[in-house]
Amino acid sequence: MIRARDVTLSVDSKVLVRDVAFDVEAGEIIAVLGRNGVGKTTLLRAIAGVRAPKSGSVTIGGRDMAKISPAQRARTVAHVAGDDLFLDRLTVRDVVSMGRYPHHEWWQWREEPRDRTSIDAALQAVHMQAFAERRFDTLSSGERQRIWLALALAQEARVLLLDEPTSHLDIGVAREILRLLRAQAREDRTVVCVLHDVNEAAEFADKILLLGSQRLLAFDVPERALTPALLQQAYGIDMECLRTEDGGFRVFPVSLR
Amino acid sequence: MPARAAGVLCACVAAMFGSLLVGGTAIAPQQIVHALLHPNAGEIGTIVWQLRLPRVVIGAVVGAALAIAGALLQGMLRNPLVDPFLTGVSAGAAVAIVAGMALGISLAVVPALGFGAGLGTALLVAALARRGAGIDATRLILAGVSLSSLFSAIIALLLTRLQSTDAAPAIVGWLAGSLAGRGWNDLTFASPYAFAGFVLAMLSVPALNALRLGDVRASSVGVDVSRAQWIILASASLLTASAVTLSGTVGFVGLIVPHIARRIVGSDARYVLVVSMLLGATLTVLADAFCRSILAPTEIPIGVLLAFIGVPLFLFMYLREERAPAT
Repeated sequence: MIRARDVTLSVDSKVLVRDVAFDVEAGEIIAVLGRNGVGKTTLLRAIAGVRAPKSGSVTIGGRDMAKISPAQRARTVAHVAGDDLFLDRLTVRDVVSMGRYPHHEWWQWREEPRDRTSIDAALQAVHMQAFAERRFDTLSSGERQRIWLALALAQEARVLLLDEPTSHLDIGVAREILRLLRAQAREDRTVVCVLHDVNEAAEFADKILLLGSQRLLAFDVPERALTPALLQQAYGIDMECLRTEDGGFRVFPVSLR
Repeated sequence: MPARAAGVLCACVAAMFGSLLVGGTAIAPQQIVHALLHPNAGEIGTIVWQLRLPRVVIGAVVGAALAIAGALLQGMLRNPLVDPFLTGVSAGAAVAIVAGMALGISLAVVPALGFGAGLGTALLVAALARRGAGIDATRLILAGVSLSSLFSAIIALLLTRLQSTDAAPAIVGWLAGSLAGRGWNDLTFASPYAFAGFVLAMLSVPALNALRLGDVRASSVGVDVSRAQWIILASASLLTASAVTLSGTVGFVGLIVPHIARRIVGSDARYVLVVSMLLGATLTVLADAFCRSILAPTEIPIGVLLAFIGVPLFLFMYLREERAPAT
């Protein structure tokens, strides 16, 4: 599904990561981890095709996202990025309906029955049908995050890319968002998301993509990617990894005291 | 929303018809209707078709063009303080026209001169604002404001030189904005460009709607943001240049009308553009009728009147909006 080969990413001539390679299959959930500024968001943008890598290639379903039209790209991959600037008073439905843009010619205005069906299904998938006519700027952070997810679902893309979908959310709402993403993966959608909470990633993701300084430290299942040695390299702190009674996996920073 | 848009359409038609009633000769409404249906019906037909109707139609085109241009730029830049003159069109046109008049160029070519210089300046502003394949919003505003200031200084310099010449009143009249003396010929020249700008504006509607979510999200739902920016800028420039050619510098329509339109129909570009167009036409036609009747036979420049109405209205709306969350 997603295939990255020899990918080198840079921002303003500063190289963030070199020669990254990985394959993601349909229906997999990948959590991208690493310290701040290491290149997680840039990697997500490279997968989305909105920022071409310095070298190497990223393809989805065999197609290089940087070489197809923006509308074709948006039908393949939905990229939920952080940008909450608003001039206008949009309703929830207005926001989600933007996901239908790539399914029309760029000058076409008309909303078709298929668009309405898709928008309703997207709102239903995130349990927000009742909020359709509410103003978006009156929603809580968690509700907004669900609407961004619904916008991505209305695009009907097979790949969902999310940049910190659980940041600034309380633990209950964060877990609800992750459950919604898990439900999408069960429908054979591929989910790649940048996370900050290592335990959230360990519990939620099928695989961890752990970025270190200028290189990929690990791309593997949580037990093998989140070892104390690799976490030390990634975050520069000592951590303990424990298996819980229910078969789960937890990571704890070693006490600073 | 369609009902509200229809209401504005009715207001626009009423304003245009009402404006046809205003003039030196008293003509009854039924006579106006008869003359509209029978263009060759004697003296009244001539007055309506050759004097009043072109002026009302030109007023409507100017107001509609400026309002659409303002709505396009405010939407694209997500900045409610932007007006169509940001593109540098009016400043560029003004410099060329003032220079042309100063050099004694025939008045017949002045509109074409203004149009060409206006579009040329818009291209220069766009070139300065270019970043990568697209347009940088901050650079666009800086380039537009800086060039407009420079051109205003050049105009001031030229005016001090021309104070005692015959050209001075015509220049001042043009700078203040006026529809006096315009006829079908002026409209024939400007309307193809205004129409091209209108078509481009309508084609931009889906992209404008997506741009409400910001450039990043618009791009992620498949908008070619760079292409959308160039089309919107081209559209706004064509519309503004057409308006400036017809009426000189008519301020505030392009700034205020999109605000009022958004209050009436929300932020959906489909309705905002159409309602801005109708409201812009309505406001300009009414203002022009007022300008030519209040001190008749002397005319107040329409740009001056609109500024007198527009500034307090804009301040009232903006301050009320700013204070609303605190209450």
